Amino acid sequence: MKKLELSDRDGVAYLAEKIGLTTTVPVEVIYAGGYIPVDLNNVFITGKETHKYIEKAELAGYPRNLCGWIKGIYGTVLSEPEINKVIAVTQGDCSNTHALMETLELAGIEIIPFAFPFDRDRDLLKLQIEKLMDRLGTNWGEVNKTKEDLDRVRQLVWEIDRLTYEENLVSGWENHLFQVSCSDFNGNPTVFAEEAKAFIEQVQERTPFENEIRIGFIGVPPIITDIYHYLEERGGRVVFNEVQRQFTMPFSTEDLIEQYRLYTYPYHVFYRLEDVQREIERRNIDMLIHYTQSFCFRQIEDIIFRNKIKIPILSLEGDRPGPVDARSKMRIDSFLDMMR
Amino acid sequence: MTLGIDLGSRHVKIAWENEKGWNFRRFDTIEFYRQYGQLVNNELRIDFDKLHMETKGKVVSTGYGRLTIKVEGGLVIPEIKAHVLGALHQTGLDTFTLMDLGGQDSKIVKVVKGRMLDFQTNDKCAASSGRFLENMSRVLGITLEELGRHEEDPVELSSTCAVFGESELIGKIIEGIPVERLAAGVNQTIVNRVKPMLTQLISESIVFTGGVAFNPAIKRIIEREFGVEVIVPPEPQFNGAIGCCIYGRT
Repeated sequence: MKKLELSDRDGVAYLAEKIGLTTTVPVEVIYAGGYIPVDLNNVFITGKETHKYIEKAELAGYPRNLCGWIKGIYGTVLSEPEINKVIAVTQGDCSNTHALMETLELAGIEIIPFAFPFDRDRDLLKLQIEKLMDRLGTNWGEVNKTKEDLDRVRQLVWEIDRLTYEENLVSGWENHLFQVSCSDFNGNPTVFAEEAKAFIEQVQERTPFENEIRIGFIGVPPIITDIYHYLEERGGRVVFNEVQRQFTMPFSTEDLIEQYRLYTYPYHVFYRLEDVQREIERRNIDMLIHYTQSFCFRQIEDIIFRNKIKIPILSLEGDRPGPVDARSKMRIDSFLDMMR
Repeated sequence: MTLGIDLGSRHVKIAWENEKGWNFRRFDTIEFYRQYGQLVNNELRIDFDKLHMETKGKVVSTGYGRLTIKVEGGLVIPEIKAHVLGALHQTGLDTFTLMDLGGQDSKIVKVVKGRMLDFQTNDKCAASSGRFLENMSRVLGITLEELGRHEEDPVELSSTCAVFGESELIGKIIEGIPVERLAAGVNQTIVNRVKPMLTQLISESIVFTGGVAFNPAIKRIIEREFGVEVIVPPEPQFNGAIGCCIYGRT
């Protein structure tokens, strides 16, 4: 199969083989290996049949009281004939992924495990990245070249983030969408970069948001589809999407291993906390929403955020894809009311 | 005059104050929507004539259905705000923890110097709600009033689900455990469910509202376990509706 060049456009790009991802991994290695990365979360949540994907997992025997993302990914992979390989993050995301990869394997999907070392150990991380390089048939030369190309795209998204909290020209949803897409650059970094550039130009025309409650959204990207719009209708705007921003590799470094060491999401919660604290100050944030999935271990980490962070925190929970439910609406309304 | 309407999951509560004082009316929610409600342009049109109520002033509503159902021509306020306003008015206190245990929802709100500081609500589960008490009293074959008398030597009920709790209780009945201990166990379960939320937001005084506040055993268990004063205002179930009226005054 032909190796994919980042400059290749649609026709050629689609010839390359797709690899599914369960969360962000060193995407440089995938592009350098000539594959197209597909963040399965994005395919799942933007699909028209999100409930069918979940149902597929439940019919296969996945428990009802289990994370909707995991079930959604399972159903998505089995519904997408183009995805026969999946890179599964076995450490640094969640342990449900273990059973996800095992059941996908049972269904005939090739699984490539990837582990972020809990203590951010450089040697272990290097080993993981190099094993992935071997598996996908690429080398440091190609990977570093790809990193340079992708970093140029990332810089555009950093600018969109800056325009969100500094110039107040970008909505929380737009900020979310561009940043969350950096896990796979929508499978085509060139096209994605053009979209980002056009967006940056377009927002210059806007009147800045003002007199709003500035919200930091911490935790995994929400499965709730209209949360950003709901908040904005009620006078609150998300100016910080913690994990989505991490997908953009916001800490500039030329060293790929260091880049994935500085990336906070897969590591110790206290390391994430440092980043959150810094951004609360820098972005002048009034309140946080700590979002977790129903049944997720991260709900326990809520204790730590509530203990260590001194600004008001609303803990929100989502189970399945869909609009904000009545109970969460009641809680959001009351919280925003309290903030005024 | 303001008509305050609390559209709850179990009951619709209406309050208004006139020259003679406060007036209250309560309806079964489903019955209310069937008999007196009609959806017009996505708003709830209430047949006040049929209710024999005059509506010369404002209508302020709140409650569970308030986001899907807005009362026609009325103002809508967040549920927690309504409850805080009601509790401030009914108790005259300005610093307390509000514990509202309703038909399906539990809310714990910390109020300091008249301002809401923080709140927690139950997760997607009705195991600590009024509906749970109703079901359990039915299984035990006693009234809610009788259920609310018992707190001594509670039987341990481990189930975290309002539905599974029923079968657990039936199992205990078969074991021959006296009804008093079973009733005490049901009351204790409610306290156990709200305890983590209450622990986070505790104050010197707890204002206890919602239909569950009619259960004196729960009040006493909380007083004993937290060592604080628990105040049940004169109209615990109409607290949200009263809060709507108070909001209407401003």
